[in-house]
Amino acid sequence: MNPRAGEAVMIDQDGLARLSAGARMFATGAAESAHTLTLDWAGSLIGPGVELVTAGGLAPDTLCVAVSLVGSTTALGEQLPRGDEPARAVRALERRLGERAGAVVALNLAAENALVPLIAAAQLGVPLVDGDGTGRVFPLLEQTTYALGGMSPAPLALAGGSGELVLLETAGDRVEELMRPVVLSVGGWAVAACYPMATGDLARVLVPGTVSLLLRAGEPGAPRATAAPFGVRTLCRGRILTVEGSTGHGADLSLPSLPSSIVVQETEGLRRLVRLEAHNEIVLALADGAAVAMTPDQICMIATADGMVVDVDKAVPGLEVDVMVVKAAPVWHTERGQRLGGLHAFGIPL
Amino acid sequence: MILGVALVRPSPVLVAVRDGAPEWPVSRAAARAAARACVAVDLGDVPTAAVAAVRVGGPCPEALRPRVGSGVATIVRGGHSLTGRVLAPLDTEAVRRFAATCGLSDFAVTATGSPMLADHELAVAAIIAAEVPQARITLSYEFGHPGLREREQATIRNAALGPEAGRIADEAARELPGVPVFFARSGGGLVSAHYFRRYPLACDLGGTASLARGRVALPGVPGEVAAAYGAAIGRPEAQVERIVQARGRAELDRVLQDARDEALTRVVSAGALPGSATIAETTVNPLSYLPDGLYRVRVTAEGTMP
Repeated sequence: MNPRAGEAVMIDQDGLARLSAGARMFATGAAESAHTLTLDWAGSLIGPGVELVTAGGLAPDTLCVAVSLVGSTTALGEQLPRGDEPARAVRALERRLGERAGAVVALNLAAENALVPLIAAAQLGVPLVDGDGTGRVFPLLEQTTYALGGMSPAPLALAGGSGELVLLETAGDRVEELMRPVVLSVGGWAVAACYPMATGDLARVLVPGTVSLLLRAGEPGAPRATAAPFGVRTLCRGRILTVEGSTGHGADLSLPSLPSSIVVQETEGLRRLVRLEAHNEIVLALADGAAVAMTPDQICMIATADGMVVDVDKAVPGLEVDVMVVKAAPVWHTERGQRLGGLHAFGIPL
Repeated sequence: MILGVALVRPSPVLVAVRDGAPEWPVSRAAARAAARACVAVDLGDVPTAAVAAVRVGGPCPEALRPRVGSGVATIVRGGHSLTGRVLAPLDTEAVRRFAATCGLSDFAVTATGSPMLADHELAVAAIIAAEVPQARITLSYEFGHPGLREREQATIRNAALGPEAGRIADEAARELPGVPVFFARSGGGLVSAHYFRRYPLACDLGGTASLARGRVALPGVPGEVAAAYGAAIGRPEAQVERIVQARGRAELDRVLQDARDEALTRVVSAGALPGSATIAETTVNPLSYLPDGLYRVRVTAEGTMP
């Protein structure tokens, strides 16, 4: 399954189904509608398949571009794409750089973010690199192992669903701040082409092999833990008691939405009250007041009824969930990784 | 006495319910003396009409176009983003042409952004009604949930079920003259026959839901009797789902009150006594990755019957 240099692995219709299933195992923020539409969209484009290659399997000076959906999946599910957004974003970046992209890579592999780079690769006729820039998901564009490795998200091209095209050129740590209002003004979602880099650099900063991993995790019957390369544990099983929005301590942060809290009553064992603090995604779990899990590890709720991830904005009192903690890639637990993806980055000074 | 009816093959099953106790079989004369009749029916394999679907929005990949089976579909320019911006002015002329030439009378209208703002759907409905006076029109905002394609499928299915729902309601009225007739909803609760004619989709799995409720209430009785009983013990229920924009607590309270008022209006239209209508549940979730102040709101209202 792992592609080796010189050996072509194709993501065909069957592979697409597995990648799509694997990419949902721990994906938060994945609106059902947006996921189905990216799946149908990708299925109509990939033909005999998209080539999956290792970063090391390409010439080191090949230009590679990261492609991702940015903004709200709910917005994508409501305002459908024209269809040319991924290619249009990459082409704009190529024009700025005066160079053609020879490969596409994912920013992260959560739900539709695993499929949008595949759509771009199919539209451009280039391979997809096996790996991604997080090993899990973070809400901000600069929260990537690419950035940890010294790469800049800019220049960055955004393609919106009404034909808009915006090129951002700025210091890497200002991309998010500039991008968010643009994404909102084009309807709440866009496709970004960013982190242009030589494949030689990509090989150094990538979390490798994660596309192959999700292709395996999406096999029917594969255990959910397959999708968590660095380990996963269940914090508790419980019932959601309350969902609270707050007007927030993060008002001066460039975070995309309001913080909110979810309180889960453990149904077995110690019957602890588990409080989940969320900024779009859950960043901290407190059990009877004690911190038991936090970002950069990923905390998510899985509905016990259907095994699907429960998004923060769909959490409802009464729902029974398993609260699971997916361990982040080791680089996130270094000092630099903590600065970029730890609690401080979410405005929680713990 | 409340009559419970399970519409199953080969013939309907009737249960008379007095003070919560079921009796069967029920004579025709006894059935016609019921205070009300509550009908459980699954619409999964009933005949469906060919639907003319209008989607209001931009061009999209072929794979994402409306799916209408034997019907016809068009995409016309217009719609709103979830942030409330007009994507394009509504192409009223395209709507008029489609309505005049499609040759069908069951319409399903789905506009981009309608859970937030339904103006374009209402405008399309007005144009269709002017062109095709006998048209039956389903608007997607009545189902409310975001996700254009899923909402569109629900809207198309509601429109496709319309004629058969009308036939079922006509037949019930003929069999039980003078008896108020209600239909069981998929998720529980009842709606009036009038509501069922307009929103049959709400009752798509009414038989299954009634069976589940009846089995809990009356363990051990035969399945079809349980379904009829499950319908008879239901109460009127209605739901509203919306995306709302509100800056600050006061504005959120105001838009929530609007949603609650609409749910109360709907449950009365579903057959509840006006004074009995109450809000059973309100769920409010901030939408991720969108600006502060966008919320998904779901309200359930219920009531009692005469």
